[in-house]
Amino acid sequence: MTARSDKAITVSELRRRYQTSKGILRKKKETVEAVKGISFDVEFGELFGLVGPNGAGKTTTIKMLTTLLTPTSGTARVLGFDIARDVVEIRRRIGIIFGGERGLYYRVSGRENLRYFADLYGVPLAKRDKRINELLDMVGLSDRADSKVESYSRGMKQRLHIAKGLVNDPELIFMDEPTIGLDPQAARDTRAMIKQLVEKEKTVLLTTHYMFEADELCHRIGVISNGEIVALDTPSGLKRFVKDISVIEVEAFGIVDSDIASLRQRPEVKTVSSNLDGERQTVRIQTPKGSEFIPQVTKILSGAKIFDIRTKEPTLEDAYLRLVS
Amino acid sequence: MTRLQTFWGSFRMSLLHFFADPQWIIPNIIAPFIFTAVALVLFRNVSGSVALYAVLGGGMMGMWGNTLYGSGFALAFDRWNGTIEYVLATPSRLVWIIAGRSASNAVLGLINALAILAVVTVGYGVLLEVANPILFLVALILTLVSLSALGVVFCSAFLLSRSASVMTNGLEFPIYVASGSMFPIALLPFWSHPLSLSLGPTWGIDAMRYATDSAYTGLGFGYWIDLSAVLVSTIVYLAIGFWLFMVAEKKVRDDATLVEY
Repeated sequence: MTARSDKAITVSELRRRYQTSKGILRKKKETVEAVKGISFDVEFGELFGLVGPNGAGKTTTIKMLTTLLTPTSGTARVLGFDIARDVVEIRRRIGIIFGGERGLYYRVSGRENLRYFADLYGVPLAKRDKRINELLDMVGLSDRADSKVESYSRGMKQRLHIAKGLVNDPELIFMDEPTIGLDPQAARDTRAMIKQLVEKEKTVLLTTHYMFEADELCHRIGVISNGEIVALDTPSGLKRFVKDISVIEVEAFGIVDSDIASLRQRPEVKTVSSNLDGERQTVRIQTPKGSEFIPQVTKILSGAKIFDIRTKEPTLEDAYLRLVS
Repeated sequence: MTRLQTFWGSFRMSLLHFFADPQWIIPNIIAPFIFTAVALVLFRNVSGSVALYAVLGGGMMGMWGNTLYGSGFALAFDRWNGTIEYVLATPSRLVWIIAGRSASNAVLGLINALAILAVVTVGYGVLLEVANPILFLVALILTLVSLSALGVVFCSAFLLSRSASVMTNGLEFPIYVASGSMFPIALLPFWSHPLSLSLGPTWGIDAMRYATDSAYTGLGFGYWIDLSAVLVSTIVYLAIGFWLFMVAEKKVRDDATLVEY
């Protein structure tokens, strides 16, 4: 069966509702709309990013496109096949790589994991073992291929996930937060492998929480918030959403919630985000005022110990925060 | 080829996991050993082949226990490992995956029968003589297939349920009793006979007893009727299993309940 299309993925008005229930004896059913009629296309050979906060609908979208969930309404075609009707045809041609510790058989070796999934994908026996060796080589696991997966480090498990997702030589690969929980070196290795896949003309749909990762890897990015796509553009196109502002970045200790609230109340401030790294806090303030707003910031944060304060060019993360806030 | 590859791959993977877990000794050696010891004490004053009920009963206990727990935990195991979505996302039909796993579990049940045979022969000095080994082997293989098919039927329910362990615990002993593995079904109340006769293993174990003991009268239908009943019930189980899996696979995609446990 062939169903070619000029797009790798075409999504039109895709919607998914879930039924949830509250209570134990008196159950009350509720309907939650996780994806609210989204539409987008992905070109062949493109690395398309889907970014958004937790619960925005990224994973639900991926699950519908990989045929694990049926849509409530709307249509989507993957490699020209309909996601509701042509389930087996799609499954044969796609690869799935989810992030996280789980998703592998820990008590058997990495090679046995790959062999089992090769069998489930119907990889011809004449090619199977050669393909597994090539994949193990590609992800740098050849020397540990026959060790049990439970003895692998987190980074090795993720590399095995990537090999598993490629065992059927897919045309299109879905990756759901593939670098989540990895140390910086392992995350960098994973990103390098994703780039290699695109160089080999694979199409990739990637979800991630890390904006620098999306900026580095993706050709185009769809920003999804509350079940809707609120922006879709190239990374540089998305950055134009914040071209009218500067970012004041403050590194400090002792900033309290009321300080953040005070900053947010200022009319000159567009968004404020705060990260804690050890005891050091980093606060990013988006404002069109630029460096002339620094004295007011210093005044508001007078109760905290400020190590550094400076203006920076807005990044993709600033654009993202602006779009989802 | 793809279906066979799925079946064999799942069969093999299930065996690898079985031997990777040292706890397999408990349900496969220790539990049937205890059952056999109890059976030998119960039947010691009964005329006829004492070993027959002990070995076949213990063996059946092992085969059914393995099939039931294997099929029950086949999907729970994937839920725990987080592999269920990856398995479901392959083009293989789930029913072939479960059939492979169920078959492997039924075959592993043979270990029990061999262990029990060793116990009764060495420990109790009772020799099991099989009157017709070929007919015995045919009945044994068909019974294994029938058990696997029954495992597939139950597994479709486990796909929808988050409580596979509760269901497997509840189903273990009723099947031993109803299939006549422990004692003849004639001893059971009449109202339970339709259930017993609807179970392939009931007919399978009866056929095996015919092949073992030429004086055995059992259900009274003879070896070949027993064997036909095993075959027909197996086909019915497989048909029900395939249909239930189609329904269950659609339902988990519609309801998004796949990874809940």
